[in-house]
Amino acid sequence: MKLIYNFILISVLMLCPASLRADTSSTAMDTAQSHGPETSMATQILSDANSDTNEVAQKQLEFTPPDEKTIIVLPQRNEAEAKEAQEAAPAENETVTEAEEEGPRIHDPLAPVNKVMYHFNDRLYFWVLKPVTQVYSHIIPEDFRIIFGNVYDNLWAPSRMLNNLLQLRFKAAGNELIRFLFNSVAGIAGTADVARDALGIKKQEADFGQTLGHYGIGHCFYLVLPVFGPSSLRDGIGLAGDGLMYPLTYVSSSDLTFGESTGIYAHEKVNDTSFKIGDYESFKESAIDPYVSMRDAFVQHRKKEVEESKQ
Amino acid sequence: MSFQEEAMINCIVRITFILCLIFPGSAFAGVPLETVKGYADKVLDVLRDPALKAEAAKKTKKDKLRAISEKMFDFTELSKRTLAQNWSKFNPEQQKEFVELYTSLLEDAYANKIMAYTDEKMVFSTEVALTEKTVEVRSTVLRKNGDIPIYYRVIMKDGSWRVYDVVVEGVSLISNYRSQFREILANKTPESLLETLRKKVGKA
Repeated sequence: MKLIYNFILISVLMLCPASLRADTSSTAMDTAQSHGPETSMATQILSDANSDTNEVAQKQLEFTPPDEKTIIVLPQRNEAEAKEAQEAAPAENETVTEAEEEGPRIHDPLAPVNKVMYHFNDRLYFWVLKPVTQVYSHIIPEDFRIIFGNVYDNLWAPSRMLNNLLQLRFKAAGNELIRFLFNSVAGIAGTADVARDALGIKKQEADFGQTLGHYGIGHCFYLVLPVFGPSSLRDGIGLAGDGLMYPLTYVSSSDLTFGESTGIYAHEKVNDTSFKIGDYESFKESAIDPYVSMRDAFVQHRKKEVEESKQ
Repeated sequence: MSFQEEAMINCIVRITFILCLIFPGSAFAGVPLETVKGYADKVLDVLRDPALKAEAAKKTKKDKLRAISEKMFDFTELSKRTLAQNWSKFNPEQQKEFVELYTSLLEDAYANKIMAYTDEKMVFSTEVALTEKTVEVRSTVLRKNGDIPIYYRVIMKDGSWRVYDVVVEGVSLISNYRSQFREILANKTPESLLETLRKKVGKA
């Protein structure tokens, strides 16, 4: 098992150099966008340079003898104008492209397959997940659903702790450890988030896909996973990696049947969705092309998380 | 006489200066945040108003939201930034129609997003200067199972701060629409995009 895990990790590290460049170029474009004044300053400098060259050209004109002046002036003026036009046009393009072309991109070579999977997830939500969740929320009061949510959150704490550690965020890792211990003991088996309520220590989200991103591994390409939703090659591997840190993975292989462990996962998903009914619908309503919108939102969101991990 | 006049003017100037310091309403640091907070509160009031929840009141609700958002957002700036290089593919008539349709779309999208959080508390925390003219006002929605950061990016135009982007959980609205439009315009004409928008806005 560990061998397979290591193999996957190494193959990802080897196979994604192209997306490394893609990520850095998108971050470069992003910094270009956020450094808006610098582009406007750049255009100012360019226009100053233009006026400088014009001044220089004029001085040159002054020094030329009057006989040749008329002949020489025109080409120099044209040159100056042409230079100005050339420098102005790319400057304009620069401000437009640099300021507007920002936004991370992701390769989507499997688009047809992803679209099918997207529609599958869409139907799954509306035909299965949403009705079940609505019944579930009706039966189970909110307080209990919060308790269930706390229990599942607590079970994911080891994964968060390890990922914070791998990202060299030692304070966050320490916090997660404290939270895990406190919530498991004082908040009985994680039912109450004592660490947050009494100690004020909030959850420090971290997942393995984010860790991989932290070390410069790009998404490689976009992948829509059944049930799990938008992901990428890197984040899909991240999910698998996180699964190895999930206590129930080890329990279920020995004590529970496949049906039971799926049932537990389903319960976690339904419980989580019960707080989020309406989010997906409003997302669809405001999107013109939901597939593209979801892909773009995913890329932006993950990029933000990777950036946060570097702070 | 002139010496006394000068002294008096000096005195008045000094007092005015001190008064300006005492009343920080004109201080730079707070203005963008206060502006955005004011607008967001107004929008939430309209959305929470029980009198406007009925289907029949939908039009009044929309009109009220439109009035607020016209002051809050800078839609021409938004449209240009969203279409970017594709802006020139539209003729002036189409550009005008696009700005109108995109305005409606954004109002609905923003109202939708905010409506999901009407029962939760929205806290405005800080503002971060992005560039000389733009500021990011940060707010958080306190939800039961996690906080959601909503950032408003504002630009100073004609003496007032206007929103040109809303970033929810790290996802910029403008960037998101830009990628959608880019994908559509790669395969279709501007006219067909306008047609899609017309249908979308007409339905909503």
